[in-house]
Amino acid sequence: MPLLETRDITVRFGGNTAVDGVGLTMDEGQITGLIGPNGAGKTTMFNTITGLQKPASGQVLLDGADITGLSPAKRARRGMARTFQRLELFLSLSVRDNVRVAGDVLRKGSRKQLDEATDAVLERTGLTDIAGRDVSDVPIGRARVVEVARALMTSPRVLLLDEPASGQTERETEAFAEMLTGLAAEGLAICLVEHDLPLVMRLCSAIHVLDYGELIASGTPREIRESPKVIAAYIGTEEAAS
Amino acid sequence: MTGTEAEPLLELAGVRAGYGAIEVLHGVDLALRPGSLLALLGPNGGGKSTTMRVCAGLHPATGGELRLAGRKVNGISAQDAAKLGVCSIPEGRGVFPNLTVRENLWAATGTGARLADLEEKAYGRFPILGKRRDQLAGSMSGGEQQMLALSRALGTDPAVLLLDELSMGLAPMIVTRMYDTVAGLVEEGLSVLVAEQFARAVLPIADTAALMLNGRVVATGAPAEIEGRMAGDYLGG
Amino acid sequence: MTTFLTYTILGLVLGAVYSIAASGLVLTYNTSGIFNFAHGAQAMFGTFLYWQFQQWGWPVWLALVAVIGVVGPAMGAALHAVIMKGLRGTADVTKIIVTVSVLLGTVYLAQWVWDPDQARTVDMFFGTGAKVSLGGVEVRYHEIVCLVAAVAIAAGLRVLFTRTRAGVVMRGSVDDPDLLRLNGHDPERAAMLSWALGSTLAVTAGVLIVPISGGALDANHLTLLVIDAFAAAMFGRLRSIPRTFAGAMVLGLAANYVLAYLPSAGTFTGNLRVSLPMIILFVVLVVLPQDRLRGAAVRTRERYRPPTVRSAAVWGAVLVAGVYLYSLLLSDAGVTTLALGMTFAIIALSLTVLTGYAGELNLAPLAFGAVATVVAFHFGVQGSGLAARLNVQGVLLAVVAAALAGGLVALPALRLRGLYLALATLAFGEFLSNMVLRDTTEHELLGMRFTLFPDGSLVVPPLKAGPLDLRNGTSSLMTATVLFALIGIGLAALRGSGYGRRLAAMKDSPAATAMLGQNLVRLKLSVFMISAAIAGLGGVLMASASGTVSQENFTFVGSLGLLMLVVVAGIGYISGALVGGLMAGAGSAVLVATFNDLALAHEGMANVYTLLGHLVLVLTALVGMGVGRNPSGFVHDIADGYRRMRDGARPVLYGGGAVGAVLYVLAVTGVIGAWTFGIAALCVAMFLPLAGDMYRAEGRVRRTPPELAGVDEPYTDELRTELDRALGLPAAHRPARLAPALRGEANAPA
Repeated sequence: MPLLETRDITVRFGGNTAVDGVGLTMDEGQITGLIGPNGAGKTTMFNTITGLQKPASGQVLLDGADITGLSPAKRARRGMARTFQRLELFLSLSVRDNVRVAGDVLRKGSRKQLDEATDAVLERTGLTDIAGRDVSDVPIGRARVVEVARALMTSPRVLLLDEPASGQTERETEAFAEMLTGLAAEGLAICLVEHDLPLVMRLCSAIHVLDYGELIASGTPREIRESPKVIAAYIGTEEAAS
Repeated sequence: MTGTEAEPLLELAGVRAGYGAIEVLHGVDLALRPGSLLALLGPNGGGKSTTMRVCAGLHPATGGELRLAGRKVNGISAQDAAKLGVCSIPEGRGVFPNLTVRENLWAATGTGARLADLEEKAYGRFPILGKRRDQLAGSMSGGEQQMLALSRALGTDPAVLLLDELSMGLAPMIVTRMYDTVAGLVEEGLSVLVAEQFARAVLPIADTAALMLNGRVVATGAPAEIEGRMAGDYLGG
Repeated sequence: MTTFLTYTILGLVLGAVYSIAASGLVLTYNTSGIFNFAHGAQAMFGTFLYWQFQQWGWPVWLALVAVIGVVGPAMGAALHAVIMKGLRGTADVTKIIVTVSVLLGTVYLAQWVWDPDQARTVDMFFGTGAKVSLGGVEVRYHEIVCLVAAVAIAAGLRVLFTRTRAGVVMRGSVDDPDLLRLNGHDPERAAMLSWALGSTLAVTAGVLIVPISGGALDANHLTLLVIDAFAAAMFGRLRSIPRTFAGAMVLGLAANYVLAYLPSAGTFTGNLRVSLPMIILFVVLVVLPQDRLRGAAVRTRERYRPPTVRSAAVWGAVLVAGVYLYSLLLSDAGVTTLALGMTFAIIALSLTVLTGYAGELNLAPLAFGAVATVVAFHFGVQGSGLAARLNVQGVLLAVVAAALAGGLVALPALRLRGLYLALATLAFGEFLSNMVLRDTTEHELLGMRFTLFPDGSLVVPPLKAGPLDLRNGTSSLMTATVLFALIGIGLAALRGSGYGRRLAAMKDSPAATAMLGQNLVRLKLSVFMISAAIAGLGGVLMASASGTVSQENFTFVGSLGLLMLVVVAGIGYISGALVGGLMAGAGSAVLVATFNDLALAHEGMANVYTLLGHLVLVLTALVGMGVGRNPSGFVHDIADGYRRMRDGARPVLYGGGAVGAVLYVLAVTGVIGAWTFGIAALCVAMFLPLAGDMYRAEGRVRRTPPELAGVDEPYTDELRTELDRALGLPAAHRPARLAPALRGEANAPA
C-alpha cells in the first residue's frame, strides 16, 4: 500500500478546472517526481494534499486513512510536511529559530532535546554555519534548504518539495540531491516538484506527469523519457500532431 | 545583426533588471524587426517573463537601454507604453475575470481605440466571444479567455505585440489555433515578441528565435538553428 | 398598525442613509484594498463644513452643493494622493493604523475649529414641519429626500459600474491593476476617483443622518454614527453593493423596531438601539465563512530586534530608578499624572504582545480595561468612604474576567483575516461603551440586585495588597512602574520562548505555521486572552489611579489614540509601549494642559498657546499617518542610533549623559520646572543619535579621503566601488559588485 495516495482529485477555480481527476501515489523510502509544464496544476496538487486547498471532489489518503477533511495542522501532525515554491520563511526569526519553531509547535521532548534535535537538523542540512543569521539575509538557494530543514524538524513521513532546487547553484544542487537520497534511504516518502528535469530523472524512482490539470503519464524515469505524450507536452504540439 | 535590415522596432541593449538585491537579467540583448515574429525561448526561471515585463513597462530596467523605434524609453510607464502602441498580453490570462467580455473590450479602449471596432474585430475573428459578450470573463474556459486577451491585440491596432506564455494551461489544439491567429497578424505587418516555454508551439511561425538561459540571451538566429541548440536543455537527454 | 408603519418608514430612512455611507466604504475598499476607518470622520468633517457654510449665510442649496460637489470629492482625492496611494503593498496593520490616524486627526481638527462645548444643530431639509401624510403615517420631506437619495445613489452606482468606461475601469482595477496599465489606463486615477466618490458618499450620509438622529452636531458622535454603517458593509462581505444595501435596510429597520416594541423604561432600550449595529456586526462576523489560509501577504518592512531577558531586566531596573528620581521633582498632581501615564503604558503592553509579536489587532484595548474595572468595582472593594480599598483577589478576578471577555470577543473572528478581528474588537468596544458603561439602571438576576454602572461613574479606591497601600501618588506610581517593568521582562521572556517563536511564525506566514502542525485558532485565542488580561490589569490600575472613572475614560477614540501612539513609537518594542502609553496617558494631557495654563497666564499669547495645544494633537495624528513609511516606529530608529553611537561616537554618548545630569541638577535645585526637565531630557535623548551620526560622519571623512583610499588599509571591493563612484567611472567597470547577485540569479519570480 502506498504511504500517500490521492484518488480522483478535482480542483476548480471559478470556471476553470485546475486539476482534473488526478490520482497519485507516493511510497515510503522513495523519491517520487511530479513534473509538468507551468500551470499544469502541480502546486495545486500540493495544496490539496496538504489541506490548503479544498478539492471539488476526490480523496487524499495517508497510510490508508482518509484525511481529505482534515485541517493542514492535523495533517502535519500525522506526518506531512512541505516546502513552498514562493518561499514562506519566518522573516523575523533567525535560521536556527526557523527550524526550532517546528519543534516548539509539536513539543516532542524537553527543551534540551529540542535544542539538540535542532542542531542535528541544521548539521544534516549543512546550515550550521549560518544558523545565527537573519533568514532574510540568506541567499535564495540556501533559503530553500532552510525550508527543507524546517520541514524535517517535524519528523515527517511524507515530504513535499515544491521546486526546491530553483535558485540553487550547481554545487548547492549537488549537495541537496545527496541529502534527498539519504533521507529517502531512511524511509521518508519524498515528492519532488521540480523544473530541473535532469535532477528529477536522476533522483526519482517514479514520476508522475501533469499536463493541463490531467495526469498524462506515470512510470519510471526511462518510461517517462520515452513517452510520446510527455515529449509532446514538453516540447510542444507539432510532434503530437504528427 | 547585420545592420542591413530595417531598424528594430523594439530593442533591448544590455538590459539589466532584478527584484530587490537579486539581479535576474544580466544584460539582455534583443532586437525585434518590423513585421517579424521573434520567439524568446528557454526554460523556466531563465528571465523570459522579466524580459517581457521590462518591455511592457511593468518592471524597471536597472541598466542598459530599452528602445522603441530607436528612441530610448527606459522607465516608461506601462500605460504610456500601451498608448505608444505596445500591446502586452501577460502570462496567465490577460483578462479581467470579474468583467464581462464586452467590458473587457471596453477597458481595452484606454489606448484610444473605439469599442465598436474592438467588438467588431473580436466577434468577427472569434464568434464564440460574440455569443458570450455579457458573460463574466472569469467563467469562460481558458481558451476563450485567451481569445479575449488576443482580441485586444486585434482591435487596438498596436505596433508591437508582446505575448507571454500564450500556451500556458491550454490544450494543444487551442494553442495551435492561437498561434495561427498570431501568424496572421504578423502577415498583416504586426511585430510580435513571444516568450514561450514550449518551443515547438511557436517555432514554425517564428522569423527569428532567441534562447535565454540564466538571465542572458545565449543565442539568436534562425528558428531551426536554435531548435537544435536547445534539445539538451529540456529533457536532460 | 400605524406604529408599525411609522417605525418601518423611519427604519427604511435610517437604512437608506446607512446604505449611502456603507456603499462608499465598499467602494474604496475594493479599489484600494484599504478599509477606511476614517470614513465616519470624513462624513463628520463635511457635515461640520455644511453647518459652517450656513452660518456664513449661504443658502442651504449652495452649502449642500459646496460640500457634496466640492468638499467631498476634494477630501477623498487629497487623501488618496497624499496618504493612501503610498499604502500599496504594506501590511494590513499599517493600513488600519493609517486610516485610524486620519480618523483621529480629523476629529482633533474638528474639535479645534469648532469648539465642542458649543451646541450646534443641523436642520432637516425643508424644516421639520414639512411633511406629507401617507396612509395615516406622517413622513417628513427630509425623510423622503433620504429615501430618494439612497435609491438614486444605488441606481447611479449601478449605471457607473456597468454603463460607463470609468466605472468599468474601476472594477478592472480591483481585478488586476497591472493589466489595467497594459490597457493604457492609470489605476491610480481609478483609485483616486473611487476615493473621491467614497468621500462624497460619506459626506452625503453625514448631512442626511444628523437631522434624523436628533439634529445635534457632535464630532465624536457623528463619526461613530457613520461607523455603524460598517455592519451593513459586512453583509456584503465588503464586496457586494446590492447586499450592502440589503444589510443597511435590516440595520435601519431593526434599530427602529427595537425602539418601537421594547419597553422604554430605564436605559436599556435606548442603549440597545444605539449598540444594535455593533451587535449585528458581531453576529455577521460569526456567520461569515472561513477564510482561506494564506502565506505571507506582504513581505513586511517592519523589523524588530527582540531583547534578551537580561537586557530587559537591566532596562527595567533603569526605568524604575529613573522614574523614582524623576518623581522627586514632581508635585503631587504631577506624580498622579505620571502614574496615570504608566498605567496606560501597561495597557499598551497588551498591544505589544498582540500586534507586535502576533500581528493581530485590537482596536478597543480600553474596553477590556473597562471590563476589568467593572468587575473589580463589584467584587474587589473592601471598606467604604476614604478607608475603602481594592483587594488583590478583586484585581485578579478582574484580570481573569478581561481575559475571558477577550476570548469571547476574539473567537468568532479568529477564523478570519486580521481586519475582521479588528472589527470585532471595535464592535465590542462600542457595545461595551453603550450597553455596559451607560447601564445605570438596577437589574435583578438570580436574586441579586445590582447596577452595572451606577450614576454613570465608578469610584475605584486605591489598591491594598498586604503591607502595600497605594493611597498616595508616589507608591501608586512606583507600583505601576514596577509592574510595567515586570510585565515587560515577562514579555521579553515570552518572545524568546517557544511560544514567542510560534507567534512570530504565525505573524510571518500563517500557511507555513499551520503546515508545522500549529492550530492557528488556538494560538491566536491564547495570545488574545493574554493581551486582554494585561489590558485588564492596566485598566484597573488606571481606574484606581484616577479615582473616579466614567464612560469617557474608556472611549473608542481613547483606545484608537493609544493604539496609534504605540504604533508610532514602535509596536514591536516594550519601550515603544512605554513611550506610546506615556504619551497617550500623560503626554498629550500634560502638553495640552501646559499650553492651556500658559494661555491663561499670558493673555496676549493666549491664541498662540491654544493653537499649539491643538496642534500637538493634530500633529501626533499626522505622525500616525506617516507610519506607512516607517512601520517599525521611531523607538527603533532611536535605538539604532544609540547602537551606532556606542560603536563610533562614545564622546557624544558621554556628552549626552552629562547634559542629562546637569538638567537634573537644575531641576532638583528648582531652576527649571519638572515638566520642562522632562521635555528637555526627552529631546536630548531623542536627538542625541543625530548628533552621534554627525560626529561619525565627520570622523569618517577625516579618516579616508578618496585619494588615500586603500593606501594604509586593505583595498576592498567596497572601496573600489566607492572610488569608482567618486571618480564617475561607469558601472560596467565594477564587475565585483555583481557577485552576490549572480548567486541568486535563477530566482526569477515567475
